[in-house]
Amino acid sequence: MENVLSIKNLTKNFGRLCAVNQISLDVKAGQVFGMLGPNGSGKTTTLGMLMGVVNPTRGEYSWFGEVPSNQVRKKIGAVLEHPIFYPYLSGQKNLELNAMIKECPPENISNVLDLVELSDRKDDKYKTYSLGMKQRLAIASALLNEPTVLILDEPTNGLDPQGIAEIRELIKKIASRGKTIILASHLLDEVQKVCTHFAVLKKGNLVHVGRVDDVGRGAELVEISADVENLNELLLQYTGTASIQRQNGFYEVTLRDGFHGKDVNRFLFDKGVTASHLVTRKKSLEKQFLEILAGS
Amino acid sequence: MLHLLKIDLKKLTSYRTFWVVCGLYFITLGFATASGMEFLKWLASFIEGFGSKININRIPLYHFPDVWLNLIWFSGSLKIVLAIMVVISVTNEFSYRTLRQNIIDGLSRFEFLLSKILTNVLLSLMSVAMIFVIGLVTGMIYSPSIELDKVITDLEFFPAYFLEIFFFLSYALMLSILVQRSGLTIILLLLSQMIEAIITSNIDDQLPWIIPFFPMRSIWNLIRIPYSRYAFQEIQDYVDLGSTAIVIVWTFLFNYFSYLKLKKSDI
Repeated sequence: MENVLSIKNLTKNFGRLCAVNQISLDVKAGQVFGMLGPNGSGKTTTLGMLMGVVNPTRGEYSWFGEVPSNQVRKKIGAVLEHPIFYPYLSGQKNLELNAMIKECPPENISNVLDLVELSDRKDDKYKTYSLGMKQRLAIASALLNEPTVLILDEPTNGLDPQGIAEIRELIKKIASRGKTIILASHLLDEVQKVCTHFAVLKKGNLVHVGRVDDVGRGAELVEISADVENLNELLLQYTGTASIQRQNGFYEVTLRDGFHGKDVNRFLFDKGVTASHLVTRKKSLEKQFLEILAGS
Repeated sequence: MLHLLKIDLKKLTSYRTFWVVCGLYFITLGFATASGMEFLKWLASFIEGFGSKININRIPLYHFPDVWLNLIWFSGSLKIVLAIMVVISVTNEFSYRTLRQNIIDGLSRFEFLLSKILTNVLLSLMSVAMIFVIGLVTGMIYSPSIELDKVITDLEFFPAYFLEIFFFLSYALMLSILVQRSGLTIILLLLSQMIEAIITSNIDDQLPWIIPFFPMRSIWNLIRIPYSRYAFQEIQDYVDLGSTAIVIVWTFLFNYFSYLKLKKSDI
């Protein structure tokens, strides 16, 4: 697959603070790429460099194999941090202006307004919009030039649950059209639900890149409960046990590589204990994320 | 080029403040320059109160070719209004952060600056056209006789007037990009003439030759006050090439500094 985005040793220093430290990364066509990291980990700074608003201290990047320029940016739809529009202009006029900047036909405006369901409010001034409408207008603006790549930075920030669900549906809808999406977020649940690949940033360093599908693999997690007093000691004796945590009334056992839920079950049965509850769980992205952050 | 101008005008033409400030500017410009005779009448009655008389009809305020320089010099003092409009337009881009979004959407930093410079050119040209029309009409009304060679005398002050306005709007643009806050920029804009006067008066004795090179002074030297000719004094009734060169260099530098600042900064 061809590289849509290729980053090499990208670095940004703000004075003595190193906001982004030698990041190298490739994003291929069709991926929904999640960028994870705590607040202040350098996600927005990285995206800012990719979109030409932050000058890199060192390193380079290319879009579609081309040297970055404002012409290349016209092929990308991007919303960084929060929606930015002229507050005194209506939604329609703001999009007309963006269409002029991106040099794309103004006929697209009504399509994208329909897509984000803002058509009936298009002639109202932007400053009268609710936060959710502002976010949706920003996504409409990013889609205006029918980009092959979409960059969304915290698209559900500050939205109510319904708004979050709406935006998530919208992202899925757009992803299903085969567009490449780069999604920066600290909402891990969100990334797990919509992304195919993800990268983790910590204090400006890239600490992990991988597929979301791979998250569940590796060490297995088993939830166990049984009507015996010494379950904890029993489980500790088991050779496959890596660690045990008590959670929600269950024992949560992380198994070593190569051990599975059924092995625990057999072990307990051999000891004469019957489990009343035994569930093998996929590790959530959240857990993996916290492990990556703790381990790096 | 035209595309960039259209983009900036699209931002401005739906902005009410733009219409109010520009409306005020052009209305004030029109009324003030057209009502010079009324001012002279008031001046005459005022002086009469002190017991002396002047015959205002002997002051050829609106006669060709005096009318051109008289109107141009006076309207130069109103350019501050237009400059404040430029400050509002540019600092808004910083406070709304729309400059950032413009760049993300595919404008280059240079194109963004150029769109603002082109608007400055347009506003300057509109001022020139306005004063030309008012001068032509009032000249036609008040001149005792209309002779072509008198009408076309002193027309070289119009390019100088254009330069004066464009110079000052470029200065306002640069200040806005450097300071980025509207209030502070406007204060600096209003004070810059005074600050420069304080500096020049302090170095008057040591380095008198350097004074014509100061930006605000160069504008002053480009188009000198013409009214003293009615007190039987010599005036500079030509556009001084040296001052013109200095003004052009400053104008270029202002826009170049704006470009450097925009290019270097993280938006």
